[in-house]
Amino acid sequence: MKRLLTFITVLAMTLAVSAQRELDEVVVRATRPLSEIGVHKTVFDSVALKQSVAQSMADVLSNNSALFVKNYGRATLSTVSFRGTSPSHTQVTWNGMKLTSPMLGMTDFSTIPSFFIDNASLLHGTSSVNETGGGLGGAVRLATATVPADGWQATYTQGIGSFSTFDEFAKVGYGDDRWGFSTRIAYASSPNDYKYVNHDKKENIYDDNHNIIDQYHPTERNRSGQYHDFNILQELRYSPNSRNNGSLAVWYTNSSRHLPLLTTDYTSSTPFLNRQHEQSLRAVVSWRIISGKFRTDLRAGYTHTAMAYDYQRDPGNGIMAVMTRSRSYVNSFYEQAELQYVLSSKWIFTAGLTAYEHLVASHDMQVNGVDGVPARVGYDKHRTDLSGALTLRWQPTDRLGLSAVVRQESYGEKIAPPIPAFFTDFIILRSINLVAKGSVSRNYHHPSLNDQYFMPGGNINLRSEKGVTYDLGTTFAISRSSRCAVEGGVTWFDSRITDWISWLPTTKGFFSPRNVGSVHAYGIESNLRIKLVPAKEWDASVSFNYSWTPSINKGPAMSEGDRSVGQQLPYIPRHSATANGSLSYRSWTLTYTWNYYSRRFTMTSNENTITGALPTYFMNNLILEKKITTRPLYLNLKLAVNNLFNEDYVSVLSRPMPGINYEFFITFTPRLKNK
Amino acid sequence: MFNRGITVCHIQSSQQVTIISRKMSTVCRDMRNICLIIISALLSIASYGCMSREDDEFVLPGGDFAVTSPHGLLIVNEGNFQYGNSSLSYYDPTDMKVTNELFQKVNGMRLGDVAQSMTVYDGTGWIVVNNSHVIFAVDIKTLREKGRITDLTSPRYIHFVNNRKAYVTQLWDNRIYIVDPATYSVTGTITVDGMQQQSGSTERMVQIGEYVYVTCWSYQRDLLKIDSSTDRITDRLDVGFQPGPLVKDFAGNLWTITDGGYSGSPAGSGIPALVCIDPESMTVIRRLEFKQGSSPRQLATDSSGHTLYFINQDLYEMDADDSSLPVKPLVSGDNRLFYALSVDPVNGDIYLSDAIDYTQQGVVYRFSPDGVQTDKFYAGVNPACFCWIP
Repeated sequence: MKRLLTFITVLAMTLAVSAQRELDEVVVRATRPLSEIGVHKTVFDSVALKQSVAQSMADVLSNNSALFVKNYGRATLSTVSFRGTSPSHTQVTWNGMKLTSPMLGMTDFSTIPSFFIDNASLLHGTSSVNETGGGLGGAVRLATATVPADGWQATYTQGIGSFSTFDEFAKVGYGDDRWGFSTRIAYASSPNDYKYVNHDKKENIYDDNHNIIDQYHPTERNRSGQYHDFNILQELRYSPNSRNNGSLAVWYTNSSRHLPLLTTDYTSSTPFLNRQHEQSLRAVVSWRIISGKFRTDLRAGYTHTAMAYDYQRDPGNGIMAVMTRSRSYVNSFYEQAELQYVLSSKWIFTAGLTAYEHLVASHDMQVNGVDGVPARVGYDKHRTDLSGALTLRWQPTDRLGLSAVVRQESYGEKIAPPIPAFFTDFIILRSINLVAKGSVSRNYHHPSLNDQYFMPGGNINLRSEKGVTYDLGTTFAISRSSRCAVEGGVTWFDSRITDWISWLPTTKGFFSPRNVGSVHAYGIESNLRIKLVPAKEWDASVSFNYSWTPSINKGPAMSEGDRSVGQQLPYIPRHSATANGSLSYRSWTLTYTWNYYSRRFTMTSNENTITGALPTYFMNNLILEKKITTRPLYLNLKLAVNNLFNEDYVSVLSRPMPGINYEFFITFTPRLKNK
Repeated sequence: MFNRGITVCHIQSSQQVTIISRKMSTVCRDMRNICLIIISALLSIASYGCMSREDDEFVLPGGDFAVTSPHGLLIVNEGNFQYGNSSLSYYDPTDMKVTNELFQKVNGMRLGDVAQSMTVYDGTGWIVVNNSHVIFAVDIKTLREKGRITDLTSPRYIHFVNNRKAYVTQLWDNRIYIVDPATYSVTGTITVDGMQQQSGSTERMVQIGEYVYVTCWSYQRDLLKIDSSTDRITDRLDVGFQPGPLVKDFAGNLWTITDGGYSGSPAGSGIPALVCIDPESMTVIRRLEFKQGSSPRQLATDSSGHTLYFINQDLYEMDADDSSLPVKPLVSGDNRLFYALSVDPVNGDIYLSDAIDYTQQGVVYRFSPDGVQTDKFYAGVNPACFCWIP
């Protein structure tokens, strides 16, 4: 396979070398919104989002950014960390409403199909304060696009892949100047029973006297990995006039995922069930009014999530015995109002207020109560979270921009200290659009409801985690012609987080969260993107992202034997990088993605023991695409090759990952006649 | 109105401020160079991007290890739940040297997920690995695997009745498994009446004569008495909420600690206590209560059975005849999270582990019988069980 890749790239090189031709006159026009003064933001283009229709947002982020995506397996929990912080320090919004679970305090990106996301961007560090509080690492902003006013649209994609994986995607929509609607459906299923060599186990061969006469690492299947994910998204748009615009987005998910066995699990013949079933409904209605110098955005939303976790085993009598039966229900109501006032071409004032009412009921197994009556272990609580922000943006000169945000939050009955943030940028050199940026903020991340109330172990006395962050960086953008564009940037960041919340075992035998110390996370984020048109009918693009993210435990030491102080946090790589290359010729497109994480320690003391670190991670994927135009429809054929070099690896200790695997997609897009 | 005049990368044809307008009519050599650089970079990345496994680097050549000391200490390191990073350490009390991760180094495979306990019987060490649902049998001199018992629900401890029968206690199960160590097979079960499967828990075992006594820990209150000749529960005693450890003193009485659970539990909770039981009559002889909210754990005796040791943040010792709990600790905790406890049956030295933050190698402290620290070494993650090689 490597030889094939080499052949392809050498061929591409040959073509590139021959691409010497005259270039036409071009005009490059560009904009920079005043509303993004000093903001460090990464925007994913449609190419990144639609590289493969079946990919989740976890795949998009791992392939196109230098964020660390902790992936527990194929179609299994995937969390995202910015800048060496915890996944709980990544805030996630969808059409303005938080996706982050108020119960768990984090987001599983593997459950978000990229097919449902039209706009995605990252707000790094301090920049997340513009969107929401609590993003000590940053925020991921996801959204659906406004239904366009270009008549009827329809598309259908069928995917067939390794491990009997079937993916189906359909979209139908209509839009005119006043109304628009869009319906999207995604369904994915797979037994997900890929084979892997289990290096953590050995199979014994016994003689008749039960003496071991030989051992070998068995080739096993990923057991209990099957999944069925169904998603439907309904959107409506109503635009009565140019000053008013309303939209509604409703997203329903029904996901049944079995949790794979660890590589160290010796369950063999015993039937068992280890399944997580989630149903969620998310709805956001929004209305925008533009009136003179005022712009008003009103949003309301609702999230319902029902999660069920079941663990059952056959005790030997053929009847599955319930070991764990966990049920949790989250209902969240969301309201947001934001007013923007343009004082002049140099001043913008924004005020916003956001409210969430969370109702969470989470219960675990059933036990014999004090009076002999069966009782459940868990909690049933509600919490109101409020967040208000005032923002002033000022451009005193053409080159200089200044911005200040003050955010005030409360959760439950607790009022957090104010969150201030300051941003500035300065145009150093117009010819290459060289801009210097800087920002500083103090931010607070509040405990989740599980942190506060989980039974047993919840700690109502937890304090909010406090982060002080500053960023300094530059960006540039050069367009030499319509055939060559280069942009990039590098940012230095420095965060000091105190009152870091960790779940630690107690002497009672269960875990409990505590504010246990401080972390110094600092480093560099950088990116480079190049777009080329090397010859007629050719297109090429390449992007690189690299992050250096030391994230150091600053103590205090837990006891005299504690060797974790001064060490990198576990499961946070110091280095992460991605590279993407895409080459198109006429209707053919070849896309290559490469992802890298340096060694991740599994222990706080960073010991180089057998299980103390995971080796350097490299992942290579390839996608070949062909577009065919016929009279009635457009056809798109796509072959995705994942884990190109058939790596035998784990991303998280004891979680098996698949070797090389393939998926073929065919997309039908009717050529509809629209007026 | 809301835009500022600087470029982002994409090329547009909007009606916004024109920044760069350049007429080019030259041969684009630089573009060719850029293409070359990009493709070269991708080539380099592709050739560089392969992972390598490092596990095998740690395996001992030939898997050779030999316990040479006549009296050694094996330490079972629990690891972290769902990490599969349990391990086995060996400490030689004579030359005061420790060797870590021996199971994997000798056998070339992981010990598993949450190794709970180890019992030595007739030259074989039996390591119970809770969340791997397995018990490994290893040669006690070489630590090489001899066999394994699989498909257990959630095993905690193994106790040998004889060389053809052993009992295995479990969590999340209301049954004690009966296994045949010679064939590594499950031969039967003992069901605990009145205990639900999903909150079931049987824990530590001590044998006196024909009877095996078993504490029932998580959400339970009872001490069971099992006739090992019939494998039937013949008696049970309510000793308090969540009895865990179980030891026998010089007089043949049993001692356990009931940890009391946690306040707010729907299953109830209680005042933690050190409880002395007459195993013959199955009655409580003494019940010494700790302060409400304290977390007593672990229980050990010296070789004579006259002195009891237990952890309640600090380490305490008391005479088995004492009628009250000791006030002054033998060893102060000093922010250490004492996790496991054992007393050397030969010289009475005390071993205590500190799990620290539960996600790094734990420390094992060695003290003389009068509480003076004589050694300190690092074992694996969460040293949970000490097992003496006779």
